[in-house]
Amino acid sequence: MKSRQSKTYNIVLTGVGGTGVLTAARILGSAAVKQGFRVRVGEVHGIAQRGGMIDVQVRIGEDVFAPTFMEGQANLLIGFELAEALRHANKLSREGVAIINDYRITPTMVTLGHGSYPAREKVIAAIKRFTKNMMIINAVNLAKEAGSAVTVGSVLLGAAVSVNGFPLKMETLKKTVEDLLSKRLLRENLKALDLGYNFARS
Amino acid sequence: MNVADPEFLLDDSPGRVMLLLGNEAIAKGAVEGGVSVVAAYPGTPSSEIADTLSLLASKGGFYMEYSTNEKVAMEVAASASFCGLRSLTCMKHVGLNVASDAFISLVHTGVRGGMVIITVDDPFCWSSQNEQDNRFFAQFSGAPMLEPSDPQEAKDITAYAFELSEELQEPVLVRTTTRVSHARGDVKLGSTKRKPSLKGTFERDPRFGLLPASARVRHKVVLKRIEEARQLSEKSRLNSVFGDGKTGIITSGVSHNYVMEAINALNLEASIFKLGFTHPLPEERLMSFMSSHDPIIIVEELEPYLENHVKALSNRLKKKVRIFGKQDGFFPRTGEFNTRIVIDGISKSLDMKHVTVSPEIEKAYAEVQPLLPPRPPTLCAGCSHRATYYAVKVAAKGLNPLYSNDIGCYSLGVAPPFQMYDTMLCMGSGTGIACGFSAAQDQPVIAFAGDSTFFHASIPALINAVYNRHSFLLVVMDNGATAMTGHQPHPGTGVSGMGKPAPKVKIEEIARGIGVKLVYVIDPFDVKKSIRVFRDTLKKVQERKEVAVVVSRRECALLTIRRKRKEKTPIMPWKVDPEKCTGCMICVEEFACPAIFVANEKVVIDPNICVDCGVCAEICPYGAIEREKDRHEVKTI
Repeated sequence: MKSRQSKTYNIVLTGVGGTGVLTAARILGSAAVKQGFRVRVGEVHGIAQRGGMIDVQVRIGEDVFAPTFMEGQANLLIGFELAEALRHANKLSREGVAIINDYRITPTMVTLGHGSYPAREKVIAAIKRFTKNMMIINAVNLAKEAGSAVTVGSVLLGAAVSVNGFPLKMETLKKTVEDLLSKRLLRENLKALDLGYNFARS
Repeated sequence: MNVADPEFLLDDSPGRVMLLLGNEAIAKGAVEGGVSVVAAYPGTPSSEIADTLSLLASKGGFYMEYSTNEKVAMEVAASASFCGLRSLTCMKHVGLNVASDAFISLVHTGVRGGMVIITVDDPFCWSSQNEQDNRFFAQFSGAPMLEPSDPQEAKDITAYAFELSEELQEPVLVRTTTRVSHARGDVKLGSTKRKPSLKGTFERDPRFGLLPASARVRHKVVLKRIEEARQLSEKSRLNSVFGDGKTGIITSGVSHNYVMEAINALNLEASIFKLGFTHPLPEERLMSFMSSHDPIIIVEELEPYLENHVKALSNRLKKKVRIFGKQDGFFPRTGEFNTRIVIDGISKSLDMKHVTVSPEIEKAYAEVQPLLPPRPPTLCAGCSHRATYYAVKVAAKGLNPLYSNDIGCYSLGVAPPFQMYDTMLCMGSGTGIACGFSAAQDQPVIAFAGDSTFFHASIPALINAVYNRHSFLLVVMDNGATAMTGHQPHPGTGVSGMGKPAPKVKIEEIARGIGVKLVYVIDPFDVKKSIRVFRDTLKKVQERKEVAVVVSRRECALLTIRRKRKEKTPIMPWKVDPEKCTGCMICVEEFACPAIFVANEKVVIDPNICVDCGVCAEICPYGAIEREKDRHEVKTI
């Protein structure tokens, strides 16, 4: 799995359907096109989405063909929810970086007594088996600081910019956010990008 | 709807590169092809094609409608083509089953203006009730078929399909799959100089009136056209061979991408025959490819469509060629492919040793599996279907009814705690199956249908119920949209595909017009009244042995949130008063809203998820749930 494949930058975004995962992936994909890269984004819509688990894969690079990639090939994992980050931790390469929102959404199935949600520390320890490069970030608090809880995705994308080797620039992300997102929360989203970036750098 | 402001797709800016969803790219291809009439019924994974075209239609000067079902859509697009206009219809794979009556005979009549039929198949059933392979519909009907492998090709092939259709005077099937339609990629845009027209003309021609005498003649024409199409397939640039090596790989559609990744990963020297024009197949070129390569590996998702053909062709060769595909188990016949499956299949075929994923990762992942909580899709917070299911369940307590459910968001009523389904088959089947249950056994029967599903395919079954005196309760869950696929309008919504006001067709009036005597309309958020109506109606159904219809009407929660945000109406989450809560767990175990969960043995409402429907407060017997005083921004969904 060396040579030509290594030029590709693979990102997996995970979370719960309806919480902004698809939107964040679309921002990454559009920003990559703006910077002149070849891109593939693999998504799933419809019934697979409603409140269920969701993962979207973004691939940037000259030799990209498939919309998805294999286990062990992600340079970056962006987790919108703790357990869902663990569910896709096997996609990370050994050198891969995980940026994870410190947030739990208890599945209704668990509330009803089917299965259980593990303790936060257990989830984090389990993810550490796949990478040593992990950043836990309270994106909900930062999003609220930016002016709206719905900007969680922008906080996480801002944090991603700080990652070594991440191919997209902050100014491209900001331009893309301006192009794609509703004007209603534009100021908040731009601020959320900065807050995420500053948090990750500190 | 995952389509935001696609107006730039009308711009004539050839060469510009944009990130497009495969389905948006198909819509762009239709615009570049000068499409004049579009008719469709939504269905994942095809919906964004029609949605994009709906948003573009007024400004782009073409006509777009959401038809009541795929068969009607096929007929609307067909007659536009009979009038000489370019037309398009798009649907999910099972939509083509609904439309197949029109489709198969349409290949017999042939068309005039270029007519393109998009079918989006769903390997792995991401959002479907089966994973049928619609490539066989091309073979079955005789229609030419094209298969794009990525968003760029999806655009280019759609635009070309109109020309091909006009050249052959046949409708052209464009077949994609979830991973083409729901992949985004960089797409170089083409010209939109070709403009649509709504000034078609129809001239009477015997071929458009299929009677036995004309059909016999037309069948021969179909066979002649298939041969003409095969000649085009032989010459087509969509069928191309590249790469060097003794090993030959034959592939089409999305599988091509996995093949490219696989040969890179394996450092394999191979020749690839990539097929984009897959019915009819370029038989001569395939034979010549087989005579110069050995072994041949066939990489295709789902059924062995290419494999069957290639193996049949190989019998005509003088020499014996080894052919590896799915019939001997080298590749799976179910689910969707990925790079790993294709690497494994190719290396197994060639007897190569290759480790795709490190054993340490596999081991660690197997060990963390028990930690992962189950998270199936669920009815949204504030969903009116939850309130309806709750009321029906309470009203039907002790009756032990059979539930014939149907296709839509409300299919999620299969999950605990409701589990209100015994059957679920296809669009409209809830009502048709209920008819048979009524005739075949004695338990009471409750059927469900969504509003859009009711218009799509439940009405003939409801007429059947009245005519044949079947006895059951049909609950139409009317949330004012085709919600699951992205809130497209339908005949009950008062909006057209052009985004203009439209007459509202009322479900209760249809039911009464058909002759249903027991017809009631409720608001499921009025829980007590809903339970009473369901209880009374079930009793009447049993006494009078006839069909009853209850329309449970309440706007989709996602639309409510959007509307409230736009109107700047505050969304106030609810909270549990721990003093009053007795821990009876009714709200958790019998209602199961995703906003309600248990923390430290206390029932809690997550203010980020609650959307202020207030139904949980109504069902709480102790008045323990009340509105928060502070306005809260709803984050989720």
